[in-house]
Order: sequence, then structure tokens, then C-alpha cells
Amino acid sequence: MYPTQQTRLAALRDFFLSRSGDDLEQACRQLNKLEKSDAAPADAMDWETAEFAFNRLFVGPMAPEAPPYASCYLEEEPRLMGESTLEIRRIYEMAGLSSPLQGRLPDDHLGLELDAALGLTSAAATPDMEAPRALWAYFLNTHLKVWVPLFLEKARNADTSHPALDLVLDALEDWLAGQDPIPTDEKTG
Amino acid sequence: MTQWNQDNIKTAIDCPMTRRRFMKWLTAAGAAAMLPCGFLRSGQAMAAGTVYEGGYDTFRNACPRNCYDTCGMVTHVKDGVAKFVEGAPESTFTNGGLCVKGHSYIRRLYSPDRIKYPMVQQGRGTGNWKRISWDEALTRISEKFIEINEKDGSMLGLALTKYSGNFGITNYGVEGMFSSLGYTTRMVGTPCWPAGIDAQNYDMGNMWCNDPEDMVNARYIILWGVNPAWCSVHTMKYIYEAKRRGAKILCIDPVLTQTAAKADEYWQVRTSEDGALALGMARHILDKGLVDQDWVNQNAVGFAEFADYLNSEVTLEWAAEKSGVPAERIARVAEEFAGNNPATIWIGYGMQRHVNGGASVRAIDALVAMTGNVGKVGGGARYGHLMTWGFNYHAMVQQPPKGVKGYLGPAAKGEFDFTKDQEGPSYSNRTLNINKTARELLNASDPPVRALWVSCKNPLSQDFDRNQLIKAFNKMEMVVVVDQFFNQTVEQADIVLPVTTLFEEWTVNVGYWHYWISLNEQSVKPLYESKSNLEIAAALSKKMNQLKPGSCTFPTEIDTREWLEKEFNSGVYGLFGLNSWQDLKKGMHKAGKHLTAWADGKFGTPSGKYEFKSDLCAEHGFNALPKYVDSRKPYDKLRVLTPHTQFGLHSQFVNLDWMEDFNPKPYVYIHPDTAKARGIADGDTVVVKNKTGSVTIEASLTDNVPTDAILMYEAWFRNNDYNCQNLVDDTSADMGAYKAGAPGVAIHDQFADVTKA
Repeated sequence: MYPTQQTRLAALRDFFLSRSGDDLEQACRQLNKLEKSDAAPADAMDWETAEFAFNRLFVGPMAPEAPPYASCYLEEEPRLMGESTLEIRRIYEMAGLSSPLQGRLPDDHLGLELDAALGLTSAAATPDMEAPRALWAYFLNTHLKVWVPLFLEKARNADTSHPALDLVLDALEDWLAGQDPIPTDEKTG
Repeated sequence: MTQWNQDNIKTAIDCPMTRRRFMKWLTAAGAAAMLPCGFLRSGQAMAAGTVYEGGYDTFRNACPRNCYDTCGMVTHVKDGVAKFVEGAPESTFTNGGLCVKGHSYIRRLYSPDRIKYPMVQQGRGTGNWKRISWDEALTRISEKFIEINEKDGSMLGLALTKYSGNFGITNYGVEGMFSSLGYTTRMVGTPCWPAGIDAQNYDMGNMWCNDPEDMVNARYIILWGVNPAWCSVHTMKYIYEAKRRGAKILCIDPVLTQTAAKADEYWQVRTSEDGALALGMARHILDKGLVDQDWVNQNAVGFAEFADYLNSEVTLEWAAEKSGVPAERIARVAEEFAGNNPATIWIGYGMQRHVNGGASVRAIDALVAMTGNVGKVGGGARYGHLMTWGFNYHAMVQQPPKGVKGYLGPAAKGEFDFTKDQEGPSYSNRTLNINKTARELLNASDPPVRALWVSCKNPLSQDFDRNQLIKAFNKMEMVVVVDQFFNQTVEQADIVLPVTTLFEEWTVNVGYWHYWISLNEQSVKPLYESKSNLEIAAALSKKMNQLKPGSCTFPTEIDTREWLEKEFNSGVYGLFGLNSWQDLKKGMHKAGKHLTAWADGKFGTPSGKYEFKSDLCAEHGFNALPKYVDSRKPYDKLRVLTPHTQFGLHSQFVNLDWMEDFNPKPYVYIHPDTAKARGIADGDTVVVKNKTGSVTIEASLTDNVPTDAILMYEAWFRNNDYNCQNLVDDTSADMGAYKAGAPGVAIHDQFADVTKA
């Protein structure tokens, strides 16, 4: 993966793992530099309203309008810590990774998944690493490409909107679209 | 080398053995250490040993809601995730079962809607929230508390409202936290059951009921204003078994409930006229010479005066006219009740939520006593008990910081306040009536209430006269709410703190109906940044002491498992046959005594006897005898009933998705005749309005409700601003101040009219 792409992915990850208005402003400013989109420039944004909107969509304390957890979109009934969450935990394990917040923050939080993507795309780009490549392809094709579009749809159709969120959601969609779907049935070795 | 394709990956994910091989290969290749992740840790997975196979780990939990059944549960955990819950199999009361609410608990734990982090709202009710750290939240709160103390010279400007949202014993640490800050303002009393508690105390010297499991021995059961088919499902099996053995089941209720539908006979009593009905039965029993004179002579005082009262002021016809139940039925059932020993009456809490509620309970108690049914297996005037609650209340009993000032005057104590009166300081907390929260918060002065802490309670859904309560909240300089979900109270908070669910904390639970004790283990890690009430208290104390040393006595570092242990004593161990609290890890235990109330005939009254005539009751401003007391004069055309729903417990559970499948929205239930007179059809949107406020809601027509009343279930819906407290004023019930610290509230003495919207 190209360094800019890594920076972009890291900024997306940081955005969804933001703990404060400062965190999300920083992540947005980073993205703003990288994106070619027609989104408003970061300097024109109101970061306080961005924070309120971010919390309404993704955090709370009200029921989040677009919860950033895969299981909410993949399970028959939206819930956290479902079977699909544990599958993601196992994928992390297979990559030699684990969440320091395991058991406290569902493993399939978008921010964690983007962090895993950062690791897996990097490993997959290394020569002679067919296993990580296959793992990344699996994670991308059977997981990220399935739920992230549903999440994007929900976030965009939510009552709450904000230019900063538009910027991030566009960047996320763009990043996902740009991921090369490595043929998963390709026999390598 | 193994070839890796999608199928192989899928197999590896699903099969621990294959996964291990994959991981081994990957680790050997040194890939994991090189991954540029910023958050996920590398190289931990193998060592962490998180590969699970086969069975579940099981943990003990207990439903801590304000419910008769207080069910022990077994929680099945795999991979650190709670998968499902079952009823505790060893409890003969729950017999391995749960109710519809209990089975939904996993949905609560893992609901995406949970409050996850401390957050601060910029402008109450704006919905503009910022996430803050615990440190920042506690700093803001502590600074406010210290400011209050400096301004007023005391902590009386700081008020606590807490009730029954979590009855786990260690949650009394919230009260402990307040005590450790100094003398504060407390909302005291209960909207639930106080009139009946006092009534039973006047009659018998305590509220004490038989083990519900002994109901199988009853030969006659009257379910009076109680709906166990919804609100105590586990008791139903004893009622059914009694019925199978030949007992007759009579249900008395203004509403044709699910319980009424399952009874042998149902009487639709005119609401709040239960006292008249009981007295009519008593008069007939007297007339027919069916009084258990031996029992009365041996165990009671004041019966002659009671008989005089019945003879001079009560007739069957009067009782029939008042209650709406035909005289011949009253007479027949009175004879059946007196003639089938043991006979029992289960007195529900709804029937005492009236201006004459305590008086009605006393009349029913008298009916049970005069037939010699008190003190017998299978008999009794069953209402509730607190015989198993003898814990240390270690978390609750905290000392104020040295030298602090408080309120000069007597303080009231709630029914769950088991602390002994302290010798020494003449200062106390300022106590305000919880049932008049809005009015009391608005009127408190010198100093005014400046900050409100809400825990285990959703006042804006449950407290009365909501419009006034909003005004009271608006007056507060700071509102802190500790909760699991964003409800109507959190909406009006400045700061919200995420609290653990039962699965995420250590505590112990007993019931006020059955006689079992259950451990509540921490089954899973607390999600997000939620903390238990005890941990919140410790963290607040730490911050208070950082900012102002000596300002809070609550220990700053606590182990909640140790604090659970500190609640036990030899009395609790003895009662439940325990060597250690750890025995409860293997299952629930049942009390070995107290199972038949008043069996030894030694009553807790001043006379030591059952008191048909209670001087204490008279001293407290009521009738010495269980005389009829008038119901509240209607102030509008229709009575408004707001009882418990099947799918919730007060404001809890209704918001969960599994409940929404069955109970997606609120209705007002109207009798077809009542609706027709107002041109209302089933499904119409209607406005229910009275002097207190209004509710716009969909009408559902049913002849389960009487023609002179409409019914709405109390509930908080997550996607609907419905609130029945818009229609309920804060008029007091007659009794309750003696044992619960404040009179009860006449929840079901409300009136309104309904029109098509």
C-alpha cells in the first residue's frame, strides 16, 4: 500500500476511535489534506457541532443513529458481541493481533477493523506472504465489503448530518472502493 | 506449504485447530510483529489463549429489578461473551424459569443503545453531547459539590433521588456515597407500597407474608388487586397447584387482567372501594357466626369494637352499592372464605395506591384475621416482607466528614433503610417526600437544592406531575444521572455516567416475596467505560479528596468483590444455611425460617397481639379501627389507571427490541361504550387531558376495562415521548409515613377525559 493510503486509512481509523472533539478535528484535517472530494475545507468547519453530530451518529448517549459495529448490520437481530463479532476476533488472532479492549469494546468496532485493515494490507503487500494476503482478501470481501456499505447508507440517511461527517463517509467509501479484491480462490504457494 | 484460499480461511476461523496452525505459521514468518497497527496489539493472541472449544462458563446472576420474583439466573458465557440466561434450577420458586423480561437480559447487556461513556450535555434537552473522561466528569461534579459546600456551609444543596432500579444490596453504596460527603438532601419514601406497609404494621406489627410456595396448601385464594400472571409469573404455579388440589381462586380487580381470566371467579370491583367490599364480607361472616372466635380470643385485641363498628355501620347492601359487586356474591364468597381453612388473600400494591389505600388494606387484614387465617401455612394476608434483608449495609453506612453541618431536625427513613439511628451528632440529612419530588425540589429553601444526583431511578418517567418536575429540573444548577440507557431523565441531565448491568458487577439479591438469596457475580467485563455504583462512589471520593482533602470519607480504592463479602454476617449465613457467601456460587439458598408469618402468635404490635383496634394508628391520625374511608372525589369524568405492563418493570425493559416486537407502542385502553359516547373508534388518535397535563395516544377499545375508567400502562419507550405521568398528580395516599418515611401516593386516584384528536 502507498504511504498516502496508509495515512488515509490511519486517519479514518482515528476518526472513528475519536474520544474527543480534538481527536476528530485532527483526523478530519488529515483527511481533508488527502481527499480530492468537494467537501468543505476543514478551516470552514464548526468542530463543536461536528462533535455533537459524531456522538449522535456513532456514540451516544442517545441510541446512536448509525452504530459503528459490524454485528449491528450482519446479525439477524442487531446486537453487539454477536457471533460475527467473535469471527472478527478470530481473524485478528490469525493475524497475530488482539484488541487491548477485548470484552469492553466489541472487536468489530469500525475503528478497530480499520486498524486491522491497516495491518493486513501492509502484510499482504509483503512478498511471499500468501497467508496474510488471503486473510486480507477474506476480511475485505466477506466482511468489510458487506457491512461497511450498509453502515454508510445508514449514516447518510440518518437525521443528523454534518460536513465533517460527509467528508469522512466519502473518504471511507472511496477507500473501500479502491481496495483491490484479490481473487480469493487464487491458488498460490 | 499450505495453500490459502477463502475456504481455508473460513475453515481456520471456524476450527480452533486449523486456526492454531495458521497462527503458528504466521508467527513463524514474523509477520505479526511488523504490522503497522496503531491500536490492536501484536503478538498477543497466542499467549492470550483465547481459543475456546466446547462448553460454557457459567455464572450466577440475579434479576435486580423491583419485582416479586427476583429471579436467580445462570448466565452462560463463552469467549468472554454472555450468550444466554436461564433460571436458577435449584430454586423451587423459579424452578429454572424466567419471565419474558428476564429472558431479554442479553439484549440489554449488548444493546447498541447503551450509554457507553461519561458525557456532558451542552444545554439540557438540546441533545448536544460531548464525550468526556471519567476524570473530567468527576472533576466537574466535585468542583460543583465543593462550590455548594462553600456557598451554603453544608452539603444540603446536594440532593439524591434513588429508588428501585437496581436492588442489588451493594447499590446502597449510592446512599453511602452521599453520607460520606456530609449531610445532604434525600428524597425519601416510596411510590410503591407504603400505605400497605403501614397498615400491616398497625395490624400485626410488621409487614410479613408467608412463603409463596406454601400457597399450594390454601383451600381458598383471593387475589386482590394483584396480577401475578404478568407481575409474578412464578407464583402462578402455586396458585394452579392449589386449584388442582381443590382450592377456589377469586380475583378482585377493576381490570379484567390475565390473572382474572385464569381465576375461577372474577369481581370487577369499583376502583378504590376494596375497603367497603372487605368490610361487607366481614359483616356477613359476623352475622353468620363464622368468626374464628378461638383464634380471635387468643391472638387479637379490639375485635369487640370492630364487631360493633360492623354491626352499626356496615351492611351487605351498602358494601354492594359501594363496590359494585352484588350482595349475594359478597355473602356467598364470605361464607366460602370463612368455611375453607386455610384461606389466604394476596393483597396487591395497586389497591393501596389510593387516598384510602391503607384503610382498605387494614380491612382486608381484618377479614383474614377474623377467620383465623393469620399465622397458618397456606393462610395469611400476604403483602410482602423484608425478613431476609438482614445484611450489614456496609456500603450504605458511611460516616460524614468530621465537623460538617447538616439539617437540624428529624430525618425520615425509607423502608429499605436498615441503618440504626446514630447517637451523637444532632445534624441529619434533609429529607424530602419522594412522591412529591417536583414540588419538594421547587420549594426547598435555605439552602435551595442546587444539584441533583439520580441513580437507579427514572424520575421523569416515574415521578408524578411531570410538567412540574421539568420546572424543578430547570431550577437545578447541576443534574447528574447514572444510567444504562438514554431515557427521559438523561435527556434533562448535564452529565450522564454509564453504570454496569447485573452481568458486570458483584452484588447479592434477596426478594420481598419469596425467601431465596442469590449471588450476583461479575459474569463479563464491564462494557465500554461503565462502572458499578460502588466504583463510581470510590472514584468520586478520590476526586473530592484530591480537590479538597477530607471532603469525602468513602474509601477511594475498593474491590467490589470484597465489598460484596462485607455485606454478609452470621445472621444472613444462619438464616440461609451458608458457611460462606461463596456457597452461593453453587446456587441459590432458601431461608430456613420466617416462612409462616406470625405462626407463634407473637405479634410486633404494642399489645403483642393482632390489633383490630390500633391506638398507634389513631395516634398517627387515622382510625383506630379498620373503618371505611371514602375514596377520592373525582375531579374529571373518567378514572385514569396506570398499572404495570406485561413487557416492562416500571420504566425498564420496554425499550428493548425484543419487547418492541410484542409491544411496539403505547395505547390508551377504553371501554367500547365509553368510546362510543365520545365518537372514538379503535385505532383513533385521542387526547387524554386533565388538570395536570395531557397525553396524545392511540385508542384501543376493550371491555377488559370498566366503563368509568381508562387505562394506560406505565412505560418508557425509546422511540416515543409517551409519558403517563403527565396525567398523575402527587396527591398522597393515606398511610406510609410511619415505616417508609413519607406517605404513599394515590397513583390510581387520577381522573381525566378523553377526546378524539
